[in-house]
Amino acid sequence: MIEINRITKTFPGKTAVKDLSLTIPDGKIFGFLGPNGAGKSTTIKMMTGILPIDEGSITMNGKDISKEVLAAKQMIGYVPDRSDIFLRLKGIEYLNFIADVYDVPQEVRETKISELTKQFGIYEALDDHIQTYSHGMKQKIVVSGVLLHDPDIWILDEPLTGLDPKSSYMLKEMMRDHAAKGKIVFFSTHVLEVVEQLCDEVAIINQGHVQFQGNMKEMKQQFQEDQNLEQLFLELTQNG
Amino acid sequence: MAKTWLLIKTMVKMQLSTAGKSDLEKAGYGCLVLFAIPLGLLLLSILNSMIDTLYTSLAPTGNENVILGLLFVMMTFIFLFVSLSTVLSSFYFAEDVESFIPLPFQPYQIVMGKAAVPFLSLYGVNTLVLLPSLIIYGIHSASGPVYYIFSLVLWLVAPVVPFVLTAATIMFIMRFANIAKNKDRTKIIMGSLGFAFAIGVNILFRLDSGGTGGGMSEMVLEQNALLGLVTKFFPTAYFSSIALTSPTSIIGSLNFLAMIALSFAGILLFMTIGQQWYFKGVLGLSGGTRSTFKENDLKRRTEKRQVLWSLLLKEWKTIVRTPTFFTQILIQSLFFPVFILILLLLQSSGSLSTMASRINGWDDSTSLLVLFAFTIIGLGVNPASFSSISREGKSWFNNLYLPIPAPLIVTSKLLVSFFLNVLSLLIISIAILFLFEVSLSVWFIWFLASIVASWITSIIGFLLDFHQPKLNWTDEREVFKGRMIGFFALAAEALVFGLLLILLWAVPLFQSLTFASVFMVVYLTICVLLGQWYVGKVTKEKFSTIH
Repeated sequence: MIEINRITKTFPGKTAVKDLSLTIPDGKIFGFLGPNGAGKSTTIKMMTGILPIDEGSITMNGKDISKEVLAAKQMIGYVPDRSDIFLRLKGIEYLNFIADVYDVPQEVRETKISELTKQFGIYEALDDHIQTYSHGMKQKIVVSGVLLHDPDIWILDEPLTGLDPKSSYMLKEMMRDHAAKGKIVFFSTHVLEVVEQLCDEVAIINQGHVQFQGNMKEMKQQFQEDQNLEQLFLELTQNG
Repeated sequence: MAKTWLLIKTMVKMQLSTAGKSDLEKAGYGCLVLFAIPLGLLLLSILNSMIDTLYTSLAPTGNENVILGLLFVMMTFIFLFVSLSTVLSSFYFAEDVESFIPLPFQPYQIVMGKAAVPFLSLYGVNTLVLLPSLIIYGIHSASGPVYYIFSLVLWLVAPVVPFVLTAATIMFIMRFANIAKNKDRTKIIMGSLGFAFAIGVNILFRLDSGGTGGGMSEMVLEQNALLGLVTKFFPTAYFSSIALTSPTSIIGSLNFLAMIALSFAGILLFMTIGQQWYFKGVLGLSGGTRSTFKENDLKRRTEKRQVLWSLLLKEWKTIVRTPTFFTQILIQSLFFPVFILILLLLQSSGSLSTMASRINGWDDSTSLLVLFAFTIIGLGVNPASFSSISREGKSWFNNLYLPIPAPLIVTSKLLVSFFLNVLSLLIISIAILFLFEVSLSVWFIWFLASIVASWITSIIGFLLDFHQPKLNWTDEREVFKGRMIGFFALAAEALVFGLLLILLWAVPLFQSLTFASVFMVVYLTICVLLGQWYVGKVTKEKFSTIH
């Protein structure tokens, strides 16, 4: 379970996230929505330990990200919103580095690297520098890195951006499988169709505040039944 | 022309902007200016005494214009050397070219814009050396106002031809040589060329310095013959020298006009070559090569390793595979030791060998002191250390979400810069052991002390970068360019090691090798312990707040 308890993050001259609380139970695909600059990335960065939390706390399966740092991080698999990372490493070197960091056993890493990269169609390119990859390939190698150590909690920041339809479908299936195993998929997106297809629960955030949290049914009930998600989203975020 | 001017203005503004520079850096520039004043005065007095000596000895035979010839030849070399790296990085390595190519500009317009900053940077050294030298010469030769007007114009046009030659050669190589297929490899080869050029010129001069003098006496008698010899391969230096030798004569004026015409033709040539070759060279650069992963490689490539080893490999690969880091860190730290070694091997009777034989005559503690000081100055600041954090750029956040203990990341960074220092040290140690012929005990103590000193310099550089990292760069060169960190690292090292050296030199007890060694061990150990303690402290407090 992820528990975000009244977190606040202030940057000079701006409060990015204010008193935000969320609870994400196990076995759910949780969609995190909001317009640009709403505080989504800031929240995710606090969840993953990238940004220090000014006030409040975040726990991952009971481990506080600010106190039991390594134990909490060990449980997370994070796909950042930018995939231009470790550009000077080759694909295989990156995956092996991640496997070393998460202490993935030799046999497991060998099988999984082969399986995952073949599924994503990047196996052949493993000996190339990540810098030479297309945006989609970079995204795939990072996702492969996350899946390699099989973390309990996936935190994915715009994971489908740049993926081709086949890979996008595959990732969505993987997300469903992961949640079906009683684990958590927390992801942010702008693509509302994906939310409708995939999410068990959603939170809509605007100007650092949660505007809504609940399942899709509750959200539609709260507003008029005939509204589509796009209209709902616009209505929720226009006055914030 | 208006568009070209707009591009030049924009590119100069973009590269020279102080936006994003911290107050500390700005203060650093202030310090640098303060330091530059006495240094400038020192340079002036050196130039003055050199020109004075030469003038007194050359004037009786009417060969004083050789001074001008030497001056212009020397400036040509400096311009060639400086523009080699600046043109390469501005024209081909800066990624920003991709944002200009789709805009409706002619290739020559973009190339003119790209040339602006490298060209302007030549005026720094031009103003520092050529301008005062010309004034000093003018005073010695009691020249009239025409000389000074000519001087000013020649000062203005002096960098044009060398710059055009370098730029044209580079554009030619990039257009026609097949090395441009791989951008990174090209960058590494061309980046190393600058250093090879410096070493090569030095070797050539040294090899060439013997064996002349036979026909010298006749040349001295013949008007301008000596000048002709000096400026044999440098027509611009010849024209400029003759123009300034007799500015009021027709010959002088003709040479002056020839120089202006040559510079003007140079600019036209540059624009033409730029128009023809620039895009073809720069557009041919690809990000890297593609290969196919081999199935039977998988087992070997997925071997399990210790996290620290994994981190070290990642750091090392980043340095070796990033052209800017390769040249600024690896080549630059190896440059000095390799340079020294080559000079020592080439010269059996040169100044360094004289120094070596002098060391043989010293007692052990003095030798140790001198060798240690020499190493500290030689190894100087380690770019790998003061770029530890900044090298990561916007990828730094990876260190924050991955479950790697912060001290382990810090250790990997310290170890990489330490390893690079040790590499240089090994080269120097060979030179010291075999060429300086010091006693084995002195060599051993010196080697140990230098190893420990390398760790200290790694800590100093790391801490400076840790406090003020530059992560928000778009081009790797920004990690080194326009940052005062190298200067601060040097100052901090001067403080730490300067105190040790002064004490070793001044305290009579340390005339004994044993006492000197013991003191060095104690002093350096204290420095290491203090450094480690402070690194641990700031890592705990600040690591997760770096963004």
